Amino acid sequence: MDFNRRQVLWAGGAIGAAALLAACSGDGDTSAKANAAGTKPKKGGTLRVGALGRASAITRDPHGTQANESDYLIISLVHDTLTTPGAKTNTAPRLASGWQASDDLKTWRFTIAKGAKFHDGAPVTAEDVVWSLRRLRGTPSGASRLPGIKAENIKADGPATVVLVSDYANAELPLLTRLTTFVLKKDTKDKEIEKAPGTGPFKLEWFRSGNARLVRNEDWHGGEVLLDAIEVKIFESPQAMANALLAGQIDVASNVGAVAARTAARRKDIQIVRRPNDMAMPIVMRTASGPFADPKVREALRLAVDREAMVKQVLSGYGTVGNDILGTGDPAYAKDIPQRVRDLAKAKSLLKEAGFDTSKTYKLLTTEDISGLAESATLFATQVREAGVKIEVVKQESATFWDKTWLKGDLYTTYWGTNDSVVFLASKTMVSDSGQNEAGWKNTAFDAAYRKTIGTKDAAARAKVLRGLQQIEHDASGYLLWGVADGIDLAATAVRGLPTLPGYGRVQLERAWLAR
Amino acid sequence: MAGSLSSPATQSPTGSAAGEDLRPTRPVLSWVLRLGGLLARRALLLAVLLATVFAAVELLPGDAANATSERGESATDLAQRRELLGLDRPVLTRFTDWMTGLPVGDLGTSARGESVADLLSRPFPNTLLLGGLALLTTLAVSLALGCWAALKPGGKADRAVSATATGVLALPEFVVAVALVLVFALWTDWLPAVTLTDADGSPASWQMLVLPVLALSIPQIGWNTRIVRAALADEAKAPHVETAVIDGLPRHRVLIHHLLPGATPTIAAGIATSTGMLLGGAVVVETIFNYPGIGSVLAGAVTDRDSPVVAGVVAVTGAVITGVLLLADLVRAWASGGRI
Repeated sequence: MDFNRRQVLWAGGAIGAAALLAACSGDGDTSAKANAAGTKPKKGGTLRVGALGRASAITRDPHGTQANESDYLIISLVHDTLTTPGAKTNTAPRLASGWQASDDLKTWRFTIAKGAKFHDGAPVTAEDVVWSLRRLRGTPSGASRLPGIKAENIKADGPATVVLVSDYANAELPLLTRLTTFVLKKDTKDKEIEKAPGTGPFKLEWFRSGNARLVRNEDWHGGEVLLDAIEVKIFESPQAMANALLAGQIDVASNVGAVAARTAARRKDIQIVRRPNDMAMPIVMRTASGPFADPKVREALRLAVDREAMVKQVLSGYGTVGNDILGTGDPAYAKDIPQRVRDLAKAKSLLKEAGFDTSKTYKLLTTEDISGLAESATLFATQVREAGVKIEVVKQESATFWDKTWLKGDLYTTYWGTNDSVVFLASKTMVSDSGQNEAGWKNTAFDAAYRKTIGTKDAAARAKVLRGLQQIEHDASGYLLWGVADGIDLAATAVRGLPTLPGYGRVQLERAWLAR
Repeated sequence: MAGSLSSPATQSPTGSAAGEDLRPTRPVLSWVLRLGGLLARRALLLAVLLATVFAAVELLPGDAANATSERGESATDLAQRRELLGLDRPVLTRFTDWMTGLPVGDLGTSARGESVADLLSRPFPNTLLLGGLALLTTLAVSLALGCWAALKPGGKADRAVSATATGVLALPEFVVAVALVLVFALWTDWLPAVTLTDADGSPASWQMLVLPVLALSIPQIGWNTRIVRAALADEAKAPHVETAVIDGLPRHRVLIHHLLPGATPTIAAGIATSTGMLLGGAVVVETIFNYPGIGSVLAGAVTDRDSPVVAGVVAVTGAVITGVLLLADLVRAWASGGRI
């Protein structure tokens, strides 16, 4: 549910053959415009999807740690979550057709969609959902997946209603039920998980070593599914996946990264699907102590960075400039807060005011976990040197970084994929007592705004408070969010209806169809 | 081919090697003992190798519990998982436990709770298939090229083969692999760019094996062609070969009956060494071609600090390499008259 860093480990850059090919192939036209208007969706066909994953990390448990894109994709197509990421609101219905909160925003009642059935024909009952949510809550990361909801506070009320009681008022609770709340039949034994029927748009035909064939569920409660089947192929490297697409062995290369997109931009027979606001890679400045504790210093660094250049060079242009507020894909994101732009003179004067020691060299810690992260650190160091801040980039091995630097360092890079909710990221990383307060930020005004936001039932009133919360974040937090990367899928021209939502929206393939 | 490579003792055409012919045959018991000794030495070597691998994974920063953790998992959860995985016990205890399971085929449990034997049971046969085909290709092509070059020493073919072989053996597998994909998959569309698997977990078609096998064997062909050529050149100086040439026997006859038998031990040793290189190279090549082999398991296991899996991969590949080396020793022994 919360963003898992390993989920994107493989979203990195495709290199080698793909890049070479780019240098040697046809004209410089951009992607083919496949989604011609007026084409009527067509039923039938098998979609072959490449997804990243490692053979050693394969899991079949919908409530386990899905480190592989391939596993998450397969599980998401077979099993339904209660809610799902949406376009207009950041939470849309899925297995739950609707939800309602009590006045104190602590008790939430979810209604199970009419006609929802398991693949073996059995109707989905509230008991099934309760059992599944409790099972999820009982996993090692259950507490962070369903924060504030104790297992005993998940209950059935009648055959089609599930009641969740939160320890505190939470206006955005349905957001928590979007991602790994996969529903299985009550009392499914661990041994039977791999073959357990789901409720999703596709049924599992076979699974072997991360590869799977899924066939259409004619009876899906969510509407008509057009594809006959989806074949998921596991790939260890983005490069091999891009090659497979270029050679026509697969139809979609899922979450393949900017480098592959740059290659494919030259090919007329490949479409590039950009999913904006997919991944934030902010620089974290420690606010609690150390050289960046002074807000003026943090402001100076925010003014010293050249955001346009960062997006252009680090993300190959596949991204947008950030304004130091996390959650850029949120429909409630404050677009009206003026965009911070580069101002070296002001940065210098702020540093002087703060008495910042410019004779010292400061360390910026980073990893190569995801493509572009270490590059962003290097470019940032070059840019802020112009404001007089000397920074040395130190690349750490992944395990060391998460063990020693994350949550503790003075200046480091991080990354988050849940960019569709301002509140979610605030609750995870910025509220004083949040478990993953990366910058050690404590701000009473922000905390108050946060509590008020999640405790306000009226949407308009909440939006107003949320606007205030974002202003404080923009002005004072420990984050320097220079930009947000697009998620990038590559697809053959015949593929239509691919998801364009960021983050976990990418696995919603039930509306895809083939024009051939 | 094997028929022509019989022991020199039975076919020395001249009397020059008579001294060797009369060497007494060792008793069978002694031979078995020596073979046993050889096996024991190889097994000991494998055990030392496994201990080293276990220790090396231990030295990497982090451990299996935090390498496989999710962001946001609490310290208590981590400690609990560490205990569950037995990571709180000393590395020596874990290694001994793991080793004592080996004789009964128990390779332990991975950090994700799966049986390592199960984890390896699907990809390993695929890797053996890939490595085996690459080994056969290497043997066949380098023998053919080496012999061709040796037919006219110093001739055009000889010089071309030697120069090419030297150039090729210096190429890393990944360079060869990328070039092959570019030319044969992406430009000409003759062969598949990657390997996709069937419902049974094996490559979906034989064409998918061609490029990975070539990528693996091309550098080894370079290496072995030079060995074959050099071994034949050495052998050409032997008196019985010179006699055969003076007797006016046809070149190919001299090659097959006089040169090759003597060169066999060297060639066998060369090919045996290639086995290790082939299995090592497979890790890289499998990634590039998305081949469903053991390479991806190994790469993932190292990232996960998953000592039992890493050691399991090393154990099975080590066993195969040991087997091939042993076979090469036997071939050498047989070709040179029974010495081990």
